Order: sequence, then C-alpha cells, then structure tokens
Amino acid sequence: MEFNVVISGVGGQGILTAEHLLAQTALRKGYKVRAGEIHGLAQRFGSVVAFVRFGETVYGGSVPDGMGDLILGFEPVETMRYINFVKDGGVAIVNTKKIPPVQVSMGLYEYPSWDEIKFWLSERNIKLIGIPAEDLALKAGSALAVNTVMVGAAIKLGLLPFEPEDIKDTIKEIFPAKLHDLNFKAFDLGYEAEPEIA
Amino acid sequence: MARIGTILGEPGERLLLMGNEAIARGVLEADAAVASTYPGTPSSEILMVLSEVAPKVGLYAEYSTNEKVAFEVALAASWNGLRSVVTMKHVGLNVAADSFMSAAYQGTKGGMVVVTADDPSMWSSQNEQDNRMYAMFANVPVLDPMDPQEALEMTKYAFQLSEEVGSLVMLRPTTRVSHTRADVKIGDLPENKKNAVRLWGHFEKNPEKYVVLPSRARRMHPEVLERIEKAREILENAPFNWEEGSGEIGIIVSGISYVYLKEALHKLGIEDKVSILKIGTPFPLPLKKVESFLRKFEGGKVLVIEELEPIVENQIKVLVYDKGINVEIHGKDYIPRIYEMTTRRIIEALEKYLGMKHDVDFAAIDEHFKKVSEKLPPRPPTLCPACPHRNTFYAIKRNAKGKGIYTGDIGCYSLGALKPLETMDTIVSMGASIGLGTGMAHAQKDKRVYAIIGDSTFFHTGLSALANAVYNKAPMTVVVLDNRITAMTGHQPDPSTGLTATMEPTKFIDIAEIAKAMGADYVAVVDSYDIPELLKVLEEADKHQVAVVVSRQPCSLLRTRIQRKKGESWPLYQVDPDKCTGCKVCINAHGCPAISFDKEKNVAVIDEVMCWGCSGCAQVCPFDAIYEKLPDGGRKYDVLDEENKRRWQQWNSML
Ligand SMILES: Cc1ncc(C[n+]2csc(CCOP(=O)(O)OP(=O)(O)O)c2C)c(N)n1
Repeated sequence: MEFNVVISGVGGQGILTAEHLLAQTALRKGYKVRAGEIHGLAQRFGSVVAFVRFGETVYGGSVPDGMGDLILGFEPVETMRYINFVKDGGVAIVNTKKIPPVQVSMGLYEYPSWDEIKFWLSERNIKLIGIPAEDLALKAGSALAVNTVMVGAAIKLGLLPFEPEDIKDTIKEIFPAKLHDLNFKAFDLGYEAEPEIA
Repeated sequence: MARIGTILGEPGERLLLMGNEAIARGVLEADAAVASTYPGTPSSEILMVLSEVAPKVGLYAEYSTNEKVAFEVALAASWNGLRSVVTMKHVGLNVAADSFMSAAYQGTKGGMVVVTADDPSMWSSQNEQDNRMYAMFANVPVLDPMDPQEALEMTKYAFQLSEEVGSLVMLRPTTRVSHTRADVKIGDLPENKKNAVRLWGHFEKNPEKYVVLPSRARRMHPEVLERIEKAREILENAPFNWEEGSGEIGIIVSGISYVYLKEALHKLGIEDKVSILKIGTPFPLPLKKVESFLRKFEGGKVLVIEELEPIVENQIKVLVYDKGINVEIHGKDYIPRIYEMTTRRIIEALEKYLGMKHDVDFAAIDEHFKKVSEKLPPRPPTLCPACPHRNTFYAIKRNAKGKGIYTGDIGCYSLGALKPLETMDTIVSMGASIGLGTGMAHAQKDKRVYAIIGDSTFFHTGLSALANAVYNKAPMTVVVLDNRITAMTGHQPDPSTGLTATMEPTKFIDIAEIAKAMGADYVAVVDSYDIPELLKVLEEADKHQVAVVVSRQPCSLLRTRIQRKKGESWPLYQVDPDKCTGCKVCINAHGCPAISFDKEKNVAVIDEVMCWGCSGCAQVCPFDAIYEKLPDGGRKYDVLDEENKRRWQQWNSML
C-alpha cells in the first residue's frame, strides 16, 4: 500500500509546512517516506507544488502523472495547474480563497470561474471539496495556519492512515510551543469544516 | 525524536532529511574539518546546515566569494592533511574549473570531496550541463547518489576513496536527490565532532606536487591516469554498484534513475522479469562488473537508463567494442537525453522497448491537462512586496526613456526581465552584466548601457569586470542592487552583509568605496526606497563615462523576518478609492504583488497582509491616491518626509 499526496499553492502559503506535517507523521508511524517540493527560480509568490509519498515501499520523490490519491490545493488555480498528478476518481481539497496572479490584475488573463473548475474536475471524475481554509485559519488565530486547516480536512477524508491525534503529536514535535494551541484549533476547524463548494 | 532540519541526531536514529542535509551529516560523520561554498540551487542547503552547526562541532565553514575561491579554500585544507568539502551548483564548477582541472593533476592529501549538484530540467538554472562529464574530463572519480540515504553513505565513502587514491572525488547529486526529504538512518559522529574539536592541519612544503610548473605537470599527467585505474579497481567492490534479479530483460541503470526504474517495473508488474545492474559510480565504471553482466545477455540486448547525457552508455559501448561482446546496447534511442528523469518517462520507454502497455492512460491525462492549462493565468515568481530592486528597475527604466540597453545578471533581480518591469536585455552567467555592458558600449553608440548586478554577484565576478570597464573606458552606468545579502539562494551573507557564515561580525566591504578606488568617474550611493533620489542620481550618472550607482536597502523578505522576530511592525499603505482613477500605473509600471485591481469599482487595492511598507507604490502613483495608514487611523500622504527617510536608514543598518 502506498499513499500519494500532492500539495500545491502559491509560494509563501506554507506548503512546505503541510508537507512536513504529513511526512513527519508518516515517519513516526513507521512508514518509508519521500517528500519534496518543486519550484522554479525564486519561489516567492510563484506557483509551488510539493509531494508526500509514503508506504511500505516508496520510490522517487515525485508523484507520477495520474497517480496522486489526493491534492491539497491551497488556491483554486494552483489546484488545477497540477491536476495532472491526480488519478481519475481522486479527490481535490481546495482552499476557496482566490489569489489572482498579477497577470489577472494587469488584465492579461481571466481568472477561471467555479463552474469551469467544477467542470474540469468532473471530466476526470475528481471529487471537489472546497473549504474556506483562510477564513478558518483566521478564526484559529492566524492566516499562516491555512496549512494546518488543510491537513485537518485531509485527515477527515479518511484516505490517509492517520488519526487526528497523530497529526497533533507531530504539531507538538515540529512547532514551537507557543504555536501549539493555534495549530490544534486550526486542525480541528479543518477537520470539522463543511464543504462550501463541492 | 529530533526536530525536522536537525542533523545532529543519535546514531541509528531515523530522521526525515533532505538529500542536502544527509550530505551535510555525511560530512560530519567523516570528520571533515573545513567546508566551503558559494551558494547555488540545488546545493545551498548543505552549507546552510553545516554553518548552523559549525560552532557546535568544531567545523570551519565559509561562504566564499565565488566557487573558484571556495574550491581553493578546501584544496588548501586537503593539502594541510585535513578532510574538506566544497559545494556548489553544477555551473559553479565552470567558475572553479581552472583550479579544479589543475588540482586533478596535483592530487590531494586529506580527503577532498567536490559536491556539484546538477539541475536536470533547469528548475533554477541557466543550463542542465551534466557534470559527470567534468569528472571524465578531469579524470576524477564521480559518485551519483540515488536517494538521500545513499547520498549520506557516498559522502563518507568519497572521503575514504579520495585518501586511498590521492585524488579529488566528485559527488554529484541532482535536484531531486538534493531536495527530496526521506527517512534516513544516520551513523555515529566522531569524537572530535561530539566534543567540538577544531582540527588543525600542517602544511608540508612539497613543490614537486604543489607548484604546478609545466615540467611537473608533464610528469603528473600519467599519474592522473594511474589514479583513475586504481579508483576503478576499488570501485569494482563499492557498495553502490550491484546486480539484482535474474529475469531475461537486462537493464543497466545509473543514479536516481534506479528509483524511477523500480517504480516503473512495479507499475508495469514486471519486477521478476528483469535483471538490473545498478551503477552508483558512473566514472570510472567498474568495467569487470559491467562485462560480467553483459556476458549474460550475449546474442540479446541491454538497455542503459540514465538522466541527461549518455555517459555510462557510451563507456559501455566502447567496452562492448573493445571486448567483442555480442550484445546490442540501447539507451538514448529510448531514454530522453534532456530534462529530468521521471517514472513516467521510464514507463513509456519500457512500453516501447518491450512492446507492452501500462494501465494509466497518460495520453488522456495530457489532453485534459493541456486544455485546462491553456485557460489558467500563469503565476511566475515575482519580486517580493517592498523588494528594493523593484524601485531601482522602475527608476532605471524611467530615466532611460526607452534609450537604454540593460545588461542583466543573475539573482532575484533577474525577475526584472519579466513583466511588468522588463528592464533586462541580456542574462548570460554570473557577473556577465558588466563584461557584456563593456562590449555593448564599444559595439554600438545609440544607447546608454546600464549594467545591473547584485551585491553578491558583484563580489563573485563583477569586481574584475568593473576594473576592465574603467580601464577600457566603457561609457556605461553600473547599477549595483545592493540588498546586502545573497537573497535568491536563501539569504547567505556576503561581503556586503558584515557577517560571516557562522554569523560572526566581520568587515562590511562598501562597493561604492571599491568603485571609487578603481577610478570610476562617478560614484553614488542611494536608498532604493527613495525613487526621486534614484532618478536624480541616475540622470547625473548618464553624464559620466563609467558611473557606478549603488542602490542600497536590505532585502525586504529578510528585513520583515527580522522585524517580526523582534515584534516590530512596518507602515501599511492603502489606496484612497476616491482619489484612485484606476489608471493602473502602480500595477503596470511597478507591479507589487500586494496590489490587485478591483474591476467592479475600478480601483487598485492593497492587501494588508502583503504590504511590507516600502511606499514605492505611493511614490509612483500619479494621483497621490496612496497613503500611509497611521496607527491612529489617520492618513499620511507625504510619504517622502524626513520620518520615512530616517526609518529607511534605520532598516539599512539593521543587518
Ligand atoms: C556560477 C553560479 N553560481 C551560483 C549561482 C546561483 N545564484 C544565482 S543568483 C545568486 C546570487 C544572487 O545574489 P545577489 O547578486 O546579491 O542578488 P539577490 O538575489 O540578493 O538580489 C546565486 C548564488 C549561479 N547561478 N551561477
């Protein structure tokens, strides 16, 4: 059994921390782990994708096309930009907060509508779970906790072999003490989140 | 259980380590005494981790001003009998090559490992040169790790091999090895490292070896060839080369491609149908091992799989010819020679090679993906909010009024080549802005030349080029974007920072003083946050032959990080919707990522979280529609007042 998670978003959104949370949890649970992110040039505010793969056997650090079980999309367009990595019938958990790229502000491109995004996902039978992760993170105490909210939603799905307590143990392990409560709360809010768009 | 990013765990512990961290751990386990580098993706984390722990383990770690200097620092340590490592990105070896090629003749004393990290697919590079070629060129053994665990083992082994053979040894991870995090089992640390003992060597003079005069080089060349044959013998038994399986399909695979091959075989369900020869030492190849593998397939064929150039494949073809082995060798006729290897690429190659089919329909995914991608707005990386470079580009472009040639360089500021700034006409290699600028100035005369270079790049290869420009009287303005740090590769200090690799205070070397000493006709230092002043200085610079303008303000990402830690805040700028006319100058001429456009209301909007307080947008707004939102809710429209200038000065002295 192997688990393949794709995480994508905008540089600076905390993709790396989400990757750490899942990878470190998998490590502690005794799995073999491969994780890593791909980005070009200075990653700041550009598009970023990361992978977490674990299981009894694991191979390379990148999920091959069409083999990701699920994608945690921190931003709608950035979810679609890496949809090739997700398998037919997979799941896309998407933060519904749109971050329009400068090209959209300049009027050079249109930001796709939710109808378009839903249609594209349905074409490959990928299930959409859209949650207001940024609002929930702010509710937990900081916009920077979007990553923990997203991980909470992923665990709720039941596709990964982790219990909420496993992730909370990792939070204790990798975050400084003063951020524990904030992240526990962010995790719970993500775990309990009702999909806003589906 | 150790925290992520810590390489100082207990022996036997499984840590989640990035390939580069695993290499750093290997350097410590091998008891190396000196580590030097000039940073470069994907190699940078090795020294970032080592310099962080250096005082705790008695290691000397240094950020050198370029790769050649870094190489020489490590070489001297080796010649003092110490173990040393130098790390760099693949193209860094081009800079160090002059010394590297000679040192390959002269050999080592203490073990010396040259880590050059290749970047297939050019995620962060200007080319995807395969540095295994350099190893062959210089006759230096090269190890090609497949994953972080093997990277750690190979690092330790490389020091041993270097000492056994008396040669430099190259370790050549690729981006996906360097940047993949994996569960890595670590070994023990030597007593010296546990007790933070700083090792000192001893230089025994030996001109026959260390002074490479032509007569001596002639004597050394045969020794180089002897060393490589000795290394080949040793590598026949290296734990990184092995045979596995007994199926009738013969495959030889090198480096990281092994991991992808295993996955591909698993997905295709043909794991038991193949025999694999895994190669971890592409040069010198363990020819006996290879030959005995090939003999099993006489009358048949063998496929060679490796990323980038056919290094292993070509050596095997020579072997087959020389030894008269009756086997067909395939490789680059099935396996792509460009870009990063992937599992998919091997699946597709095997489908063709073996005439079979995999159950994921890649073509359908591609077709869907192509359709979707065409509708997605691109999101290239941009300069950060409040990046001081943005103002400088804006001012350069405005001052030149369409009559400038902008020779550019490599750093965060390379993004100035993209929309909306588009103020960079050439990028070649580090330091090339000034050399190309000099050439431009002597090759055409209808436009003023502006060479644009960062502080770290200036010290890397800009210094000698500036001397050349002054010496050869090239009319041009050199603009140094001095953010006082090597920002692009992760904020490594440089001579403009005033700190060493281990964060000890050192001399701040003022680029403006250098330019004066070199005899530049006009030299000015200006605060990057003061756009009117930038424009004034650039206009004056145009009147002189060689002018040097140092635009100085610390990297905003670093500054805000430091401020956040100290609990300090910065000003917040906001758009007055009543004054904003929707002209979009702030977006189309300046382009801070904190600004977006509200189409319905026809006004610009500044994201409160993303505004890092530089006031650049307020300065470029033609309608004075952007103000500083004061803590009491008041509005300050005069953003160029003394208070702001004082604040910028304070930020400037924060490093
Ligand atoms: C020969 C070589 N070495 C290293 C690099 C990696 N690299 C790219 S830009 C850069 C330094 C940029 O620093 P600086 O000039 O200060 O500009 P900043 O990024 O701070 O704006 C480095 C080390 C490279 N591209 N080529």
